[in-house]
Amino acid sequence: MISNADKSAVEPGAWRSRLKERIRAARQGYRQVFGIPDYERYVAHRAAHHPGEPVLSPCDFHRAAIERKYGQGGGQRCC
Amino acid sequence: MKSVKTFVLWAAVAIVGAVSFGALALGRGESVNAVWLVTAALSVYCIAYRFYSKFIAERVLRLDDSRETPAVRHNDGLDYVPTNKWVLYGHHFAAIAGAGPLVGPVLAAQLGFLPGTLWILAGVVAAGAVQDFIVLFASVRRDGKSLGEMIKMELGPIPGSLALVGVLAIMIIILAVLALVVVKALTSSPWGLFTIAATIPIALLMGIYMHVIRPGRVSEASVFGVALLLGSIVLGRTVAADPTWGPVFTLSGTQLAWTLIVYGAVAASLPVWLMLAPRDYLSTFLKIGTIVALAIGIYAVAPALRMPATTRFIDGTGPVFSGPLFPFLFITIACGAVSGFHALISSGTTPKMIEKESHMRFIGFGGMLAESFVAVMALTAACVLEPGIYFVMNAPAAIIGSTAADAAHVISSWGFTITPEMIQQTASDIGEKTILSRAGGAPTLAVGMAQILGSALGGKTMEAFWYHFAILFEALFILTAVDAGTRVGRFMIQDMLGHVYKPLGDTKLLPANFLATGLCVAMWGYFLYQGVVDPLGGINTLWQLFGVGNQMLAGIALLLCTSVLVKMKRERYVWVTLVPTVWLLITTLTAGVEKIFHSDPRIGFLALAHKFNTAAAQGTILAPAKSLAEMRRVAFNNTLDAVVCAFFVLLVLAMCVFAFKICLQALRKAQPTAHEIPPAGVARTLA
Repeated sequence: MISNADKSAVEPGAWRSRLKERIRAARQGYRQVFGIPDYERYVAHRAAHHPGEPVLSPCDFHRAAIERKYGQGGGQRCC
Repeated sequence: MKSVKTFVLWAAVAIVGAVSFGALALGRGESVNAVWLVTAALSVYCIAYRFYSKFIAERVLRLDDSRETPAVRHNDGLDYVPTNKWVLYGHHFAAIAGAGPLVGPVLAAQLGFLPGTLWILAGVVAAGAVQDFIVLFASVRRDGKSLGEMIKMELGPIPGSLALVGVLAIMIIILAVLALVVVKALTSSPWGLFTIAATIPIALLMGIYMHVIRPGRVSEASVFGVALLLGSIVLGRTVAADPTWGPVFTLSGTQLAWTLIVYGAVAASLPVWLMLAPRDYLSTFLKIGTIVALAIGIYAVAPALRMPATTRFIDGTGPVFSGPLFPFLFITIACGAVSGFHALISSGTTPKMIEKESHMRFIGFGGMLAESFVAVMALTAACVLEPGIYFVMNAPAAIIGSTAADAAHVISSWGFTITPEMIQQTASDIGEKTILSRAGGAPTLAVGMAQILGSALGGKTMEAFWYHFAILFEALFILTAVDAGTRVGRFMIQDMLGHVYKPLGDTKLLPANFLATGLCVAMWGYFLYQGVVDPLGGINTLWQLFGVGNQMLAGIALLLCTSVLVKMKRERYVWVTLVPTVWLLITTLTAGVEKIFHSDPRIGFLALAHKFNTAAAQGTILAPAKSLAEMRRVAFNNTLDAVVCAFFVLLVLAMCVFAFKICLQALRKAQPTAHEIPPAGVARTLA
């Protein structure tokens, strides 16, 4: 974070978007540790590989993620 | 220049490790500081990771970043996603770390701190981390296939099906023993029971919040969930002291067993978003937080290890679990050294998220080192307790009696001086009426953690809070495991029943669901109930049965890894998996056979069954049975345990034969015969 602040002296305004991106990445990483897939990446993936096809809404995406992770005998935890 | 720096760095790590071990080994007559133990472990992990895992990655497996991983090949933005290696490390660690590494080392502390520590460290480097790493590798090279599917692919369909039945059997035993740990911790403990019961409405609230109000907002829900949990611990003290509510939450062992059985059946039938998912988030949250706090606590408080390096109980007369160091230490500490269950996780979701092959070293090998570190900390927490207190908490009532005075008398006679006042004082410090015979690891660990965290934060007045926090933390992920495990068991049972009568395999059909859930709960419930009424305290029987099963599964996974290496024509390096396989087979087969046939009724299932049958035939009633019918039941249960144990032994022997045949065939071939997905550009011949 400090390095971002340093750079702001050189390119004003840029650090704000960098910081935003960092926070977003940290949040998504933290959520993935819990086993929640990244919605934005899913949307990007659909746009890149299946353009024009329907995309799940964030709500449906998260519900489906939980169902896939824990339903059908998933969500196995070790002893 | 860089190589000089590296050399100096690793020489320093080696010296720190050697000094720590020196302090542990040479500290005769006076107590050793726990910091030495933890530091010695960390040095071993660093060196093993830097050198041994690098050797395995580069020479044995030859990880190749130019090969596509399943996450890249099938990238769908959902399940198959190339994931940052640190994030995936956290995810993998959260999936493999459970109650196992917390319970086993605590039980093994009766031998002193040294045997357990040495086995955890040697076991993880030579066996556990290698198993996790190579199973993960095999799965990634096979499109993320599960352990059962890989055994089918590489060893044949019969071993594949056998392995699945084995996994189901082990899971039933795991569920029973985990539930038993909860029963032992919560019996006649209204404060503890209230906080655990409170997790149910809290999880439901979180579930509704995340599903209906703000979908996907895990952090928000987890934060208020944790806040409510902490609140429930504080409120628990008031509830326990309340004249009307106190007795409501004071349940006996058998009442708790029934409660858990009903809970398991109901919880496994609810929609996953309502309770399972939110509680899993909560427990992941607490798990990572508590483990980090404990590590910091040990370094900040630097408590002395009061338990000696070895105790007289290495001869097999110990009250916590019976049987000598060899082979019983090696099945008592399963998770933390090597756990067969990890082979299921390493071939579950993790291989579908690996971004590059080279990441597997960090995630597979490194992830297991972290789990092992948890086991070392659990052992430490048990060994900083006064040994007398440790034995009061872990020896069954049949040996130490049921009053503080009796217990103090018996345990002092073993050479661990303790007074009834000290026992009472410890109980009141942690806000409980009694600490006698709370076997199962969780309460002992909780007292150890309470003393460590209490010294760091809040002192004596906070000890009761930390104790109940630690109990909550363990019970939380045990209940999650019971819930998730019952579901997994249900799907496995339905899968099997489907072969007998097709509609029973339909997972959408409600009656079939209920039947399979009922069967699964009945099976683990039976073993749980039997454990609760067991004359030797239950843990003594069930934990060892679980240990045998889990280590057998590890043996099977390592046999698979060995076959994979041979089939890849890497037989030069086959010792990497063969040595741990042989060691696991020696220890677990010895332990398995002794558990069945040993003539001492404290060890052998059949001997105990015989003892109760003979006594019943003569009309004598042995405690804790109260009638001849109960005598017969104890005898029957022990015969059943012997049968389950024999099943594990035969299963692993059969696997040995299959793997041996496959390896011989592969050795005769000049070309690699492993069923890997070839690198991109090579024609795909995978069946």
